[in-house]
Amino acid sequence: MRSLLSYQWTTAIIGLIIALIIFLLIRRDILHIKRSFWWIGIAILVVIMGFFPVLIDKIGILLGVNYPPVLILTLSIGFILVKILSMDLERSHQERILRRLTQKIAILENLLESAKASEKPNRENHDHKRHL
Amino acid sequence: MKGSRQAVLIPAWNEDATVGDVVRRIREFGSFDVIVIDDASTDQTAACSIASGATVLSLAVNLGAWGATQTGIRFALEKGYNRVITMDADGQHPPSAIPELLAPLGDGYADMVIGSCPGRGSQARKMAWRFFQGMTGLDIEDLTSGFRAYSLPAMELLASRKATLLEYQDIGVLLLLIHSGLRIKEVQVPMHPRQSGSSKVFGSWLKVAEYLVLNLILCISHLAKERRGLSHAGELL
Repeated sequence: MRSLLSYQWTTAIIGLIIALIIFLLIRRDILHIKRSFWWIGIAILVVIMGFFPVLIDKIGILLGVNYPPVLILTLSIGFILVKILSMDLERSHQERILRRLTQKIAILENLLESAKASEKPNRENHDHKRHL
Repeated sequence: MKGSRQAVLIPAWNEDATVGDVVRRIREFGSFDVIVIDDASTDQTAACSIASGATVLSLAVNLGAWGATQTGIRFALEKGYNRVITMDADGQHPPSAIPELLAPLGDGYADMVIGSCPGRGSQARKMAWRFFQGMTGLDIEDLTSGFRAYSLPAMELLASRKATLLEYQDIGVLLLLIHSGLRIKEVQVPMHPRQSGSSKVFGSWLKVAEYLVLNLILCISHLAKERRGLSHAGELL
């Protein structure tokens, strides 16, 4: 069967769709702008590789990869692993913040209760004096 | 020691069967301020502690024994205490041994004192202790004892952000103290059997396996640091 699009266009369109989705997510405030760097970078790479597939052949030859498409798969898996690791680093950072916030709330709650308790007799004393 | 303010910290998670009695016994023994850190319990732990005269810090989310202990240390620093003693809520630690824990801090021999009872625990636990002693190079017999006393420098270090992601209060805390140049001393104390419930850390074989693997990773990741520390010490000598 004859293919509708060339490989070149397929990857380029995938790259453009990824970039479009990223911009839409940022526009709707669903994706934090800091998180967009990675995905925009990936989208740009996919578009470039789509339009200029010869690049991957040349890089593959330079790196001694006999069958260049394997290089794309290897690089993709590498990028995904780096991304997952960075997500776990971010999660650890958030876990630290969450733990410290939880601790701070418990401490502040106690200080607030103590302040309220010490304020109550003072206020009662003040009210008593006003009545007199 | 003149001018010292000390508090007893008790991290507690669903310990309403024993925590009230533990607080009462500590307060009867000496004029200690007792702070119970209620680790998001679903029972009457907070109410029982308040009824027994303790100050209670209620965590909204369960942070585990070390997260609760760190909350207590941060609160103690906020309130101007310069020494804290940590005790379990299950009644294993006798309040009468508190002075023995505080003595080396007062004499300036140590920044942290562990109330140790190597006689307790199963053979498997002792094997794990020996294994981690070998891995870490820590000359401490009872690595998991929660009966401890901390000086002000130790409190300040352990209240910091770098101690927040520790999962357990034993090996990670000890390594952090040692690598920061603080001194640890161990004193032998008697311990009672647990009054009720079971160990939260060693509650099931799965938890034991998780504990062993996590601590093994922690030890291996600190090996390089320790070597660097030793070589640096060598240069100083």
